[in-house]
Amino acid sequence: MTTEHIQSYLPKNTKAEISGNIAFFPVPTSLIKEVAIELYQAKNLKLKLITATDQRETGEGFKIWYVFSVPKEHIFIVPFIQLKDSQEFPSLTPVIHSAYNHERKIHTFFGLTPNGHPDLRPIILHENWPNNAFPLRKDFNWKTKPAKTHTPYQFQKVEGEGIYEIPVGPIHAGIIEPGHFRFSVAGEEIMLLEARLGFVHKGIEKLLEILPLTDKVRLSEKISGDSSLSHSMAFCQALENLGDIMVPKRALYLRVMYAELERLANHFGDIGAIMIDTGFNFGGSQGARLREIIMQINERLTKSRFLRGINIIGGVTKDISPKEREALLKDLEKITKDFSEVITIAENSMSLLNRLKGTGVILQTLAKDYGASGIAAKATGIAADARVDYPYAAYSDLGFNEIETEPDGDVYGRFRVRIKEVYASIDIIKNVLQKLPKGPINADAHHIALKKNTFAISIVEGWRGQIVYAIFTDSLGNISRVAPCDPSFLNWPLVGEAGPGNVVPDFPLINKSFNLSYSGNDL
Amino acid sequence: MIITIVIWIIQLLFVPLASPLCIGIIRKIKARFQNRQGASVFQPYFDLWKLLHKDEVISKDASWIFEFAPYIVFTSTLVVGMSIPLVAGFINNNAGDMLVIICTLSIGTFFLALAGIDTGSGFGGFGASREMTMAALAEGGFIFSLLTMAVINNTTNLFMISQHGTVVHSQFFLSTMLAFFGFIIVMLAETARFPFDNPATHLELTMIHEAMILEYSGKKLALMEWASANKLLIFFALGSNLFFPVGIAQTPTFWGLGIGIAALAIKILLFCLAIAILESSVAKFRFFRLPDLLLISFIVNVVAIILIF
Repeated sequence: MTTEHIQSYLPKNTKAEISGNIAFFPVPTSLIKEVAIELYQAKNLKLKLITATDQRETGEGFKIWYVFSVPKEHIFIVPFIQLKDSQEFPSLTPVIHSAYNHERKIHTFFGLTPNGHPDLRPIILHENWPNNAFPLRKDFNWKTKPAKTHTPYQFQKVEGEGIYEIPVGPIHAGIIEPGHFRFSVAGEEIMLLEARLGFVHKGIEKLLEILPLTDKVRLSEKISGDSSLSHSMAFCQALENLGDIMVPKRALYLRVMYAELERLANHFGDIGAIMIDTGFNFGGSQGARLREIIMQINERLTKSRFLRGINIIGGVTKDISPKEREALLKDLEKITKDFSEVITIAENSMSLLNRLKGTGVILQTLAKDYGASGIAAKATGIAADARVDYPYAAYSDLGFNEIETEPDGDVYGRFRVRIKEVYASIDIIKNVLQKLPKGPINADAHHIALKKNTFAISIVEGWRGQIVYAIFTDSLGNISRVAPCDPSFLNWPLVGEAGPGNVVPDFPLINKSFNLSYSGNDL
Repeated sequence: MIITIVIWIIQLLFVPLASPLCIGIIRKIKARFQNRQGASVFQPYFDLWKLLHKDEVISKDASWIFEFAPYIVFTSTLVVGMSIPLVAGFINNNAGDMLVIICTLSIGTFFLALAGIDTGSGFGGFGASREMTMAALAEGGFIFSLLTMAVINNTTNLFMISQHGTVVHSQFFLSTMLAFFGFIIVMLAETARFPFDNPATHLELTMIHEAMILEYSGKKLALMEWASANKLLIFFALGSNLFFPVGIAQTPTFWGLGIGIAALAIKILLFCLAIAILESSVAKFRFFRLPDLLLISFIVNVVAIILIF
């Protein structure tokens, strides 16, 4: 990657500091809007993350970082603003909608006010959290137990004759995570749907600043249990980047294999769950069965059904023996045949297709505006996949370049994307098993020295969508801030948008077709 | 004399005692269709026993309706259970009138819906509203399907209808089949089965029947569950004995009674099998397609009546 090439994406006369594939440069607070609009609209970059850091200890005040990415080139252009005296900054939300929740989060957790933001209600932190305690500021001790305040939360209101509200959750009947949904309905039709999340807020961002390094990796696996491997992989990649650690080839291939096993297990589970939510019991139980087969393969290979403890800084901990390799190839053959039979039956069921098609439609423009990624975006025809756009591990070596999409943006679209990705994942794993290079499976990374005063960004395509990690280091080379962003954080508003126009009994199906993480959103 | 006593004992006890078994059998067959082992067919009895020994949690906003509804709902199914032809068609039972049955069942539905609204929870409210939408539309189909049989046999007494053995009246064969088809649709709606409702779901927002009884626990929940099992068996028995009264005892002999019991058991098993197959092979319909289905039932039954003349 030449410096000149990166320069072409920067605004004129900008001197950027370049670290690896990241170019970052300060922008005066008053100009950030123009710079962001230029990058987003004229240069057509993607806004991946907006986050803040508290650097008041070194006299630099707060900094707000706007991470833009160049798909296919794997370059990040990161303008940042510095807030020394003021605690306010101009909001990007009126011009770039996907900044909406990022800025709300900065407001809630750092106490910095985005001027011009339409919605400054707290996000994630709840009624009992005091208004003047900002947990991600450095002077907030992580052990602080704030006083209970009972500030009421204002839900959006729909008024009119015959409109009534249905509160659902946070505790649900099934074994799922907690979240509150407020429906405003006219008869059975949904007028407005507002999700209120944050019930599983665990203070992960704060803990990621405090825990010892190896524990940080373990903690990243717990951000969203079903994406354990993808999260730890994104975290490790960013750290490897910061520590200039060369990961052995074999480890990169193994990471791809494990990641695709994770994708397979979750896609099987979801394909089944979508069918069971329509009441199509046959398909439902087959999905659960196929998922279990993959979970058992995971356990056989790694002793962990959820692939935990696999990723370490510098590689992986579990290798695959030639015998296991043969067994896995055989299993995959069987699974492919098994799965095809189930899908043939499902695709021939009129009653099932009738429930899936046209339900919970998301328009492509909407998905783009919200910065959605993963299945939710692919089902509206957006061809974006981190495995292709920001190739990591061994995906480019394996020649993976096909992104599965569907045009309609409905539940059926999200169902189909999963089915296509299952076949693609199986092919990738077979490919890995054939091309697996020999060698060590991890670099000796006992004494890691991270680059100082800089940061790294890593994107991984988890099964749900793009998992983004930004890790900042201080002048001593210690990690000063970790900003993980699960795809759920950007995709949740889409669930709210998919509701209106549908009837209440279809909502569980719509929600399941996204199957977003509560824990990953709440951190 | 003894035979009459035996028959009346069967009339009184058969529905409440056998209904949990029907549920168990349907669940078992469904489990096998899903490659699962499934619980024992007697599990519903254990569940009822368990619930009957549990304490209840009653919302402080609940009124007397919530307290009494389970008894009314359960009793209505008991009364209907003893007023329909089960194994013998010859006994003289004036309670077995078509309209009496339909209205008694409606009382149960009415109180079920009231109890759903009573606690003021969101789920109970929309469960009740959906149930009333369904019940109002199903009523027409239900009345007309039984009316078809009544017109054919010139009587509204269900025992008399079952005694006549309609299927043999070959000129009414088509009418009978159409009425049966309409009846099946109504049965699925009234007993909260596919494609109207999913009795196995945990998703509150999709529920109809389950949403109304969501606030119940312990003994009252047991009565509600038991009542809905009774209702299912009542519809099975009606379907078997009005449209296909083959085997039902026509004379007071033990031999005839034995055949009657065996015939009823076989017919109910066939119903269980049919329901299980249906619920394993189709998805639930969208809520707004359901009225169309009930309307079909109504129209089919009207056609059936016209065809008689």
